[in-house]
This record gives sequence, structure tokens and C-alpha cells, in this order.
Amino acid sequence: MTTIIRVDVELHDSTAVARLDGELDTATVGDVAVKLRRLVENDQLRLVVDLVDVTYIDSAGINLLYAVAGELRARQLRLHLVVAPGSPIERMLTIVGATTAFPVHPTLDAALAAR
Amino acid sequence: MSGGLPSSETAIRELQRITDAALAALSMEELLRELLERIAAIMGTDTAAFLLLDEVAGDLVAQAAKGIEEEVEQGVRIPIGRGFAGRIAAERAAVAIEDVDHADILNPILRDKGIRSLLGVPLLVEGRVIGVLHVGSLTPRHFSEQERDLLQLAADRAAIAIEHARLHAQRTIVETMQRALLPAALPVIPGLDLTATYRPASVDARVGGDWYDVFELGRGRIALVIGDVVGRGVEAGALMAQVRTALRAYAMEGHPPAVVAERLNRLFATARPVKLTTLAYLVLDPAAASLRMVSAGHLPPIVVDPEGRGRLLDVSGDPPIGATTSASFREHEVPMPPGSRLVLVTDGAAEVRGEPLDAGLERLRVLSEGQPNARKLCEAITAGVVSGGPSEDDVAVLVAHLQPLPDRLVTRWPADPEALGGLRHLMRRWLVGRGAGANELYDITVAVQEAAANAVEHAYAPGPAAFTVEAEDSDGTITVVVTDRGRWRDARGQNRGRGLPLMEALMESVDVRRAGEGTSIVLRRTLEETAS
Repeated sequence: MTTIIRVDVELHDSTAVARLDGELDTATVGDVAVKLRRLVENDQLRLVVDLVDVTYIDSAGINLLYAVAGELRARQLRLHLVVAPGSPIERMLTIVGATTAFPVHPTLDAALAAR
Repeated sequence: MSGGLPSSETAIRELQRITDAALAALSMEELLRELLERIAAIMGTDTAAFLLLDEVAGDLVAQAAKGIEEEVEQGVRIPIGRGFAGRIAAERAAVAIEDVDHADILNPILRDKGIRSLLGVPLLVEGRVIGVLHVGSLTPRHFSEQERDLLQLAADRAAIAIEHARLHAQRTIVETMQRALLPAALPVIPGLDLTATYRPASVDARVGGDWYDVFELGRGRIALVIGDVVGRGVEAGALMAQVRTALRAYAMEGHPPAVVAERLNRLFATARPVKLTTLAYLVLDPAAASLRMVSAGHLPPIVVDPEGRGRLLDVSGDPPIGATTSASFREHEVPMPPGSRLVLVTDGAAEVRGEPLDAGLERLRVLSEGQPNARKLCEAITAGVVSGGPSEDDVAVLVAHLQPLPDRLVTRWPADPEALGGLRHLMRRWLVGRGAGANELYDITVAVQEAAANAVEHAYAPGPAAFTVEAEDSDGTITVVVTDRGRWRDARGQNRGRGLPLMEALMESVDVRRAGEGTSIVLRRTLEETAS
């Protein structure tokens, strides 16, 4: 195990927030997928994935975000992302078009305030 | 010589048999039973019993009995100072009872079995009471002065045999624990050589308590721990297990070293009896070429720089874990340039009785400077080269060598997703050494990892699945070639296939080539940013 990631889940009213801390890559994406899907299955909730403390994301991680967003869409829900402006993560998500595909917020507060 | 007692010569010979080497091989239970048989035979008594001191509860527990086996079956416990056996332990002297019916006897079994007369003596080891031995007769009997002396003589020898068996059993437990708790294998971290040894104490009674640990913290950082629990035996081993696990837990939570030490201290400072642990906890960041560390009363680590100069890190001053509830710990940052070696040891490696510790540490520093081979250095330290002979204490040594990375770096990796993190961290380190800026670091690392992920996914050629990564810096142009033995496949599925576009967006050029039986991905980018 050379990659470590932590997923903390918090509930804010009807919004589930998954805070990711660490590196989201091929090796960790499976664990994260299990945790995010558990939140998606509960369709009372909308989902915010906070990537501010993620230091690395690769195509496996990005694929997961697209897959989760697709599952939410089937329930008329949207995936919201929190991404630090100017961070390498933001650059990566921009390259693959994720910043236009999903609502992206600079802070968790902004994501929670958005409707 | 009275009654059925053997002649003193025979008795001595019989006694000798009590400590025969043959007894050493027996388990504690067998040993006690065997001793009782022989003692009852020598003394010519109907019953005999051992009660051993339970140091925690502070009472005597029946451990073996002949003729009064119920004592053991019922787990009879006698408080020190009370009853027949309790008096013997408290007074540390023989007690004889000629008429059991009119004596203060706590244990009804003795009376119920029809014992009429009793003689008991303390089991003493170096003046400490470890239990009581008593013999009994079903017919009234007067035990002579001589018989008392003979039983005490037998008890003295039995006590030594019991203590020996106890320590031996404890040693086996502690060593098993220790072995289970030390890492079975150190993590394999590309670009970092890790070597460690542990040598148990040469004296039974001193075994246990030293440990080392290495684990990955994510983002390429590596946690290195060396520690020494004050105390010995099973208690020290158990405490070591607790400290080691608690440290891992706090470290994995992401706390910096000083906070990890403070939390550990808070956890163990309130423990009674007081439990002390000295330890050094270091976080090595190979890409940043630095160490962050905290020392809780532990021997200073030694860093041998790439030029071969060794120095003791000036990190003393903070107390051991558990010493005081109000302790705070200072975090030190120490440069660890590529090519440096870090040497961590426990007390047994440098301490010589009657000599200032500085002298041992200085010899350890010189030894570390002079022996670049980590394996040989570990062996020399545990063999006691520094202290002039093997230590009575246990010794743990951990050596970490941060390898310098060349301009052209060629590495081979198993086709396993788990390898990708290690590759990424190594690439990052290598790129930092080439002067890459923050965005370049990130972009090139991601592109290389995408190419490697492709190699992992396509590893279906026969033979051991592996891929190679060749990274080269030619006047600021970085070329990385990732080669596998499989054929390039376009990814299938809706949410796949972002790897190649990602690589193309991140690099100046991406070429996918057939290379013999496999595929090579050639990535190129010129460094332009100024490294911050």
C-alpha cells in the first residue's frame, strides 16, 4: 500500500458531503467508489465531493467522478465538486472537461449554499 | 538422623537430582510435579505442595500438590500473612505445625484430608519470596531442626529451578510477541534502502521492549520509528504493542510528529503504574529531501551525509512518553539530501555500563561513517562492536539510505495497480532533482502514471507481468518511455479512455510505438518553469 486516501462523510441537512483526503488513483479508486456509491444509493440526498485535500487525481479518479455523476443523473440529481482554485486538481479537471460538466465550487460553504 | 529420613549424603544426592539438567526441559507444570515427587520421597511425607506468589494479586496460589491435589483443582488462594502458608511467606521462615487440629489453618482441604502435621518453608530467589513449599504427614510427626534445614535446602534448589523455568517461559512468550510485532518485512520503497535488525537480550530477565517500525504515510512520505519501552518481560512487550499501534494510528490520521508524540503522551501519562517509553518518530519526505522528527527521550539519530560525514542530530531535551502529563514535544526539521544514510538505534547498541553515553554514541557515529553497507552496519551494531561485546539488553537498529537518483533513471515495476503510487513518488523525486516546477512536476507525473496504468491494464502477455520506465533528462528535455509486453488497446466503456487524451494534454508529445512484443509510450516535455 503506497497510496492512502481517507473519505470522511458528513451530512448537512439533505446534502451528503464526502471529503476526500489523499491521493485518488487506480489503487485507491475502488475504496472511494464503494463509499460514494453508498451515498448515491440514498436518493434523499444530493452529493458534494470535496477535493480540496486531494493531492493527486488521475484518469481512474476522474472516471469515477463521471460514473458517480451518471448514477446521480439517473435520479435527477447532480454531483457538486469542491476544488481549490488554481490547484493542480483544478487544472486536471479542466483538461478533461469536468469543470464544465459539474458544478464546481471554490469552498464547501459555497457548495452548500448553492442550490 | 531420625525416622525414615535418608542419610545426609543420600539426601544431598537426591537433592542434586532436583536441579538436574533434565528438569530444565520440562514445562512448569511437569517441573513442579516432578519436584514434589522427589521432595516427598526425600522427606518421607504423605503430602507436598507448592504455592506460588501472584505478584499482581499479592497472594499465594496453589500450583502443584501431591496427596492434596484438590488444592490445585480448586485454585486455592492464601493471602500473605494469613494461615499457615501465608505466615511462612510473610515471615520468610519455616513454620512447623505438629497438631493441625489446634492450629490457625486457613485452607480446609488440609484438615479434610486428615493431615496431622505440617512443615513449610519459603521459596526464596535472591532474598525475594516467590512462594511456599510445604509437606504434610497423615500421622502425627515432629519435624526436627535437621528436617527443616533439609526442606529449606530442597526449597532453595526448587526455587532456582522454578525461577529459571518461569523466565524461560516468559522469554519464549516475549520473543514470540516481539517477533509478531516487528515488521515481518520492511516496505519496499523505490529509491530508499531499508535495513533493520533486532537481537533479543542475552540475559533472560532483560528481554523485551525494543522495536522499530516503518510504514508509508501517503504522498510518498515514510514513517520511521524506533523505540524502547522501559521495563522488561511480558509487561514491557505488551506495552510496546500498545505504543506501536497507538503511534501508527495517530500517524495515519495525518498528525505531524510533535502532535503524534503529544497524543501518545496524553494516552500513556495517566497509566498506573507509570509506563515510560523512549522513542524517535521521523517522517522522511524523499522528494523534499528532508526529515521531520520528534525525539521523546531517545538516543539521537545519526545522519551520514552524501559526503560520508556522520553527525548526531541535536534533538535531546524532550521527556520519554508517559513521564509527565504536561510534556510538549519539539519538532525538528533536518535536511536529508539524496545519498544520506539515517541510523537509528536503541540503548543496547551504544550503552556501556560505567561509561558516559557520549563515548558510546561517538563510537557509533564513527562506525556509521565507516560502514556504508547497511546490512554490515546493522550486524556490527547488534554484535556489540560499539560497546565491546554483545549487550545484555535487546538491541534494535534501523538504517535508511536515500539513494541518489541519476540523470537517466531506469526502473522495472510489477504490473500491479499497487505499484503505481511508488512509481509516482519516485518520478516526483526524480523530477524535483531535475529542477521541475510545480505544474511540470504534476503534469509529467500524471502522464507517466497514466502510461503505466495502461501497461498494468494490458499486462496479458505470458511470463511475469512487468513494465519498465526509462526517464532521461537531456538539457532540460524530459523523455520518459514506458514499455510493457502487451499490445496497446483502446479503452472500452463509457468512462474509460481518458488516459491518452490526458497524456496528450499534459505533454508536448506522446508517441505510442510497437516495441517487439510489447508497446512503448514515449512522453516528452521541456522544462521551462523555474523551480520554486
